[in-house]
Amino acid sequence: MNVNRANEHFFRRMLRAILPLLVWLLHFIFCYGLAAAQCTPAGMRPGGPDRTAMGIATVVALAVLAWLVWRGRGVLAQPSRTGLWQWTAFLFAALSLVAVSWNSVGILLVDGCA
Amino acid sequence: MNQPTPLPNPAPRPAGELERLEDVWRTPRGWRFLSSVNNTSIGLLYIGTALLFFVLAGILGLLIRTQLAVPDNGFLSAGTYNQVFTMHGTVMMFLFAIPVVEAIAVYLLPNMLGARDLPFPRLSAYAYWAYAIGGLAFFCTLFFGLAPDGGWFMYPPLTGTKYSPGLNADFWLLGIGFIEISAIAGAIELIIGILFTRAPGMTLGRMPVYAWAMLVVAVMIVFAFPAVIAGTALLELERAFDWPFFVAERGGDPLLWQHLFWFFGHPEVYIIFLPAAGMVSTMIPTIAGTGLVGRRAVIAALVGVGVFSFGLWAHHMFTAGLGVLEMSFVSAASMAVAVPTAIQVFAWICTLWKGKVQRGAPTLFLLGFMFIFVLGGLTGVMVAVIPFDWQVHDTYFIVAHFHYVLIGGMVFPVFAAMYYWIPLINGNRLSERWARWVFWLMFGGFNLAFFPMHITGLLGMPRRVYTYAPDLGWNGLNMLSTVGAFVFAAGVVLFTIDTVRTLRRREQTVGNPWNASTLEWLTSEDYGNRSIPRVRSSNPLWDQPTLTQEVDEGRHYLPQTATGNRETIATSPVGAEPRYLLVLPGDSWLPLLAAAGTAGFFLLLTMKLNLLATICGITAVLGTIAWLWQSDRGVPQREVDVGGGIVLPVGATGTASHSWWATIIMLVVDASIFASFAFAYLHISMRLQVCPPPGSALPPVQLAWLSAALLVAGSILIWLATRALGRRRMPWLALAALVCAMASFGVDLYGLRSADLAPSESAWAAAVAALASYQGLHIVLLMILGPYLALRGWHGHLTARSRATLDNIALVWHYTTLQGIAWLSTVRLVPLLME
Repeated sequence: MNVNRANEHFFRRMLRAILPLLVWLLHFIFCYGLAAAQCTPAGMRPGGPDRTAMGIATVVALAVLAWLVWRGRGVLAQPSRTGLWQWTAFLFAALSLVAVSWNSVGILLVDGCA
Repeated sequence: MNQPTPLPNPAPRPAGELERLEDVWRTPRGWRFLSSVNNTSIGLLYIGTALLFFVLAGILGLLIRTQLAVPDNGFLSAGTYNQVFTMHGTVMMFLFAIPVVEAIAVYLLPNMLGARDLPFPRLSAYAYWAYAIGGLAFFCTLFFGLAPDGGWFMYPPLTGTKYSPGLNADFWLLGIGFIEISAIAGAIELIIGILFTRAPGMTLGRMPVYAWAMLVVAVMIVFAFPAVIAGTALLELERAFDWPFFVAERGGDPLLWQHLFWFFGHPEVYIIFLPAAGMVSTMIPTIAGTGLVGRRAVIAALVGVGVFSFGLWAHHMFTAGLGVLEMSFVSAASMAVAVPTAIQVFAWICTLWKGKVQRGAPTLFLLGFMFIFVLGGLTGVMVAVIPFDWQVHDTYFIVAHFHYVLIGGMVFPVFAAMYYWIPLINGNRLSERWARWVFWLMFGGFNLAFFPMHITGLLGMPRRVYTYAPDLGWNGLNMLSTVGAFVFAAGVVLFTIDTVRTLRRREQTVGNPWNASTLEWLTSEDYGNRSIPRVRSSNPLWDQPTLTQEVDEGRHYLPQTATGNRETIATSPVGAEPRYLLVLPGDSWLPLLAAAGTAGFFLLLTMKLNLLATICGITAVLGTIAWLWQSDRGVPQREVDVGGGIVLPVGATGTASHSWWATIIMLVVDASIFASFAFAYLHISMRLQVCPPPGSALPPVQLAWLSAALLVAGSILIWLATRALGRRRMPWLALAALVCAMASFGVDLYGLRSADLAPSESAWAAAVAALASYQGLHIVLLMILGPYLALRGWHGHLTARSRATLDNIALVWHYTTLQGIAWLSTVRLVPLLME
């Protein structure tokens, strides 16, 4: 028997699984980067960083993550029949949802550069 | 009724098969042992050296505690104390903690995955020797008063030439910088080993949790370590050539160092902790006699911690003057990372709860780990709260916190691991009776030493002070800490004696003393297992009770040496289906020679012994070329039968090859270092009102277009070379591509000179020059690779079946082109964006 070289779609599977973590990462980079940039001499913004832009980004991120949690909810119904990829994707979505929610607290409560 | 699946190979095996396997894999004896590259030899040397550094750094810790035992102590002078505490932290973090987790992986992983060795054994040997030689030389600087003294995180401006004019800081920057390269080499080895050399049937879902942990850690190293390599390069450039990246008066920013250092430094904490967590997740099911509860959640938690840990760097900078909003994001991420960590802790507790726990030394240390680490984690959540951190920053509370996290989270699991896995070496277990003494001395001593530090810190004692006045209320607490430190050390001494005693005992059959479920407990010799097992579950030794016997009888895959070389089976990353026979290199002195040359180059360069440094540098390059020259050679066989009707091709090319993927990972590291330099440029530019700053300018844009065009032309020529394999024109195409690349950099240099860019004038100009220099470094690399490729072509060492050299050099070439275009556009785009 010669070896079957069937494609396992490693990267596609991996990307689908870690998508929620990437959403968290992008949201974090966007919010941190914007806040840092708008508090430097080059990009100083009167009134402090643009919290509206951050708020929109947060709502989008939370919506995507909520949808990913909803899409993966099936793993809770049949946990023993769920594969590793589906299980991790669901857990990542839940973790990222919590992490982005905590991130949003700062946007709600803090303004200015000080 | 299900028929049992027949095993891949019949028994008894042909006469002489085992002897040939043994001959190929035999470890050299006597002084030739140093040329061994087998993972078991290198792994043991690596672990031993890392533990030596643990003891050496521990002695420095005792010197610190002796000095602080009483107020106004004159045991150590302030200057010596600075060197001692800096070396204590540096050696513990860079020469013990990271190396020991990589070392244990080098030793354990191939057996745990059912491979005969790691995929690049000579790279492992190189990484080990570079670390050992460089690390020992670095430690010896203490005896000459030349050890670094600016704290283990080396903040400028203290470590700039103004306040640290001696060589001390240079030893840190060059010494640690290249030891990081060794860690990265190990990480590439581990990623490829884990994804490409698992036993057939060991899918990602069945892979041991420890292997998952090491995979996550190795990926983290790839993205985290480049930041500190770039940071150390920038600080050394500032010190050596007065390029003022961190000098505020000339547009630099000391905080840039802190960002780069902690972008590495915080993930590093998890790079140290996650392997320990992986070991714990492997040991706990064994001692509880049941599978790991929530196995998939634990795997997900490992990945989650790995990703979240990159959002925490700035929590070391809460008092540095960052914006409150940025700090709030980092604070939130610092709390978020506690969730996946807690998932693991609860899974361990549930597993212990569900099973029947064996009493023994590993259990003691695992319970000690949980107690201490949870306390450290809780104080971690406390310091993630910004106002609390403002109160305790740089006090002994922080010292207590990170010792609880690091000793609890890493040293105790490593000790548990040693009690658990030392029988693999010669079949003997460490003494259970002594273990109880060792544990209680270490556990009691640890808490006695470090718990009072929480209070000392809350009472206001700052870190790094070499003494204190007697009327501050810290005397008793400090004395307690000192007593505790010596009690802890007594435990380590007892452990060392017991280990030496045990390793000197007569060799015994290893067996499976803990009734573990993972493959490292199969019978193993220099060649690994007699045959490579077919795996059907995540607990193969529990679910396949006859597996050990079947593997020992050679009834699984590849019970022979099919090509007369060292080999293992390369499998697919997800399903672990056999793909090709991976031929491994044998023992060699060349990795040792190249490593000695590399270490000598960096250390002698630090001492400004330029001629000797050059000789060492040339030795390193020649040693590496000689080593590579022997690799990527075809073998007569095209296909081999490994059993079970599976016929595998020998070796693979292009994207199917493990070396192609290793090159890709190396280039990801490279791109991350470049991104760190680009970040430095952006950070410095954003601090300007006008960019470029007055008096500075960029070369005309036409020169950038010309440079980019030349790079693209070079890449096209190399692409043509890959299509001209075996033709006479191939070497000439490679050399023509080199001319294009060199011309491109010539244009860059001409442009920078014509724009009068003076890197010592301003941090902005220095940042541009740093990006250009990094591109220049790649052109120098191509100046070695181009002729090397041509030489291989002329010697007939590039064929359709051994073309990895060509494909991999082509990857480096195309990357250099992309990086060249990236640097040319970055330096121009940022000023445009700021207009």
